[in-house]
Amino acid sequence: MPTRAALHHNMSASAPGAIATDAKATGLIRLWRGLRRKYLAGLLSVIGGLLLWEVISRFVVANALFLAAPSQILSAIYGLAQSGELARHIAISAVEFAIGYVTASIIGIGLGLAMAANTTAKQALQPWISGLYATPTIALAPLFILWLGIGIWSKVLVVIFLVLFPVTINTEAGLRTVSERLIEMLRSFGATPRQIFFKLSLPSAMPFILAGLKLGIGRGLIGVVVAELFGSRAGLGRLISQSADAFNMPDLFAGVVVLAVAGIAMTAGFGWLERRLVPWTRD
Amino acid sequence: MHKLAISGLTKRFGALDALRRIDLSVERGEFIALVGPSGCGKTTFLRIVAGLEPATAGQVLLDGRAVSKPGGDRGFVFQNDNLLPWRTVLANTLIGPELVGGIGAIEHRRARDLLKLVGLEGFESYYPRQLSGGMRQRVNLARALTINPEVLLMDEPFSALDAQTREIMQTELLRIWNEGRKTVLFVTHQIDEAVFLADRVLVFGRRPGHIRQDIAIELQRPRALSLKRTPGFVDYVDRIWRLIEDDVRVSVIEEHA
Repeated sequence: MPTRAALHHNMSASAPGAIATDAKATGLIRLWRGLRRKYLAGLLSVIGGLLLWEVISRFVVANALFLAAPSQILSAIYGLAQSGELARHIAISAVEFAIGYVTASIIGIGLGLAMAANTTAKQALQPWISGLYATPTIALAPLFILWLGIGIWSKVLVVIFLVLFPVTINTEAGLRTVSERLIEMLRSFGATPRQIFFKLSLPSAMPFILAGLKLGIGRGLIGVVVAELFGSRAGLGRLISQSADAFNMPDLFAGVVVLAVAGIAMTAGFGWLERRLVPWTRD
Repeated sequence: MHKLAISGLTKRFGALDALRRIDLSVERGEFIALVGPSGCGKTTFLRIVAGLEPATAGQVLLDGRAVSKPGGDRGFVFQNDNLLPWRTVLANTLIGPELVGGIGAIEHRRARDLLKLVGLEGFESYYPRQLSGGMRQRVNLARALTINPEVLLMDEPFSALDAQTREIMQTELLRIWNEGRKTVLFVTHQIDEAVFLADRVLVFGRRPGHIRQDIAIELQRPRALSLKRTPGFVDYVDRIWRLIEDDVRVSVIEEHA
């Protein structure tokens, strides 16, 4: 039998205080090697791509009406931030996204639970869920604006429509695929249906639910921006569309970059959350 | 009074006669092994005793009380370890007490003692994915023992293990059994495993499932693995194999048809 405990013990015992600084130095080298192995190719690729972009926009296209160079975008972001414009647009989009996303997550998980618990509910809801999930509901954005005006609520509704279905579908699927063998195990210890739900079904559906919520981030962001393009007073989509109307490429790209960063940050945050909440799904 | 008294136990799945009129008495502290070809109903039998499956007719009395659903007086050890992947070894071991009323200091100590008994001291905070198959089966066994059951029901618990691990687990099981002298019903496909472990081997026949023979194993305890190479042991294995050989051939042909 392998005894990992013993292994750990040996490893920690081999670094006494006298050579602690040495150990620290080798630790840093190891960290650097690890980072280099994991991230170097990606970093070089991004830097290379940005350089190429810079060169093309300055010397090949060389027309500020069609393309902005990364350096120009950076300074546009700085300018927008200084004037307070950027914060205003981000705040509006963030509020629209947050309200829509949270509402859709709560309703979606609720619907998923109902569908998993009750066959009739599932049969009744399934055609709607499948149908609306496959439909590009973003096309309904103009209609929602007609109904709710160009304020934030039309955007919230678009986000709800886009986020709701992946969350519902994943929640239901996660609860449906609970292992029969594990249910049986709990039953053998006298578990009640309620205990089976909380101690087994819910935790084993967690990875699915989180995956649905993760899918929802990208869809929700698209929803906010596209809905704003159709008609709004403020928001990142508004920033992009008014910059496009004014042929202000640096500002347009500034909006796009902020959105990209938000998407990457939220997805990464979710990855972190997944590692904390469902560590057993790794390896 | 018998620890377990089973009378006229019958189980039908639709038109299929899975078990027909099984009678059996088991004394307190006895180790009973059940062998037989696939599809002879031995696992169904075990599940009915566990209360996981209702009987069509007949009854199971445990200490004179009829069994109808799972209870803390019986611990089930599954063929697949069935550990919850998000729980540590200790938290998995404690699931039984947790479900029936909560865990306190006593339950914690008992679980730790049992993990030590099955050779997993120091692994309490590990997750199932960090353990080997043999270690996971040890947790499975410790988990069933945590509720301090009077009867231990084991459904081919070692069948997923490799041959060497399996032999080690057999001796370990006897050592653990010797400490608590639980009443054990142990289902297995392997005749030598049954003879090595049990006081009595019940040989099941198929279609419908019934007990063909109840063979007392009069080999001295404690038993060491070297026992498996003695003539007395081999005689038992031969005798049981001859009993089920024809049945096994039929079931093998059916399974591959």
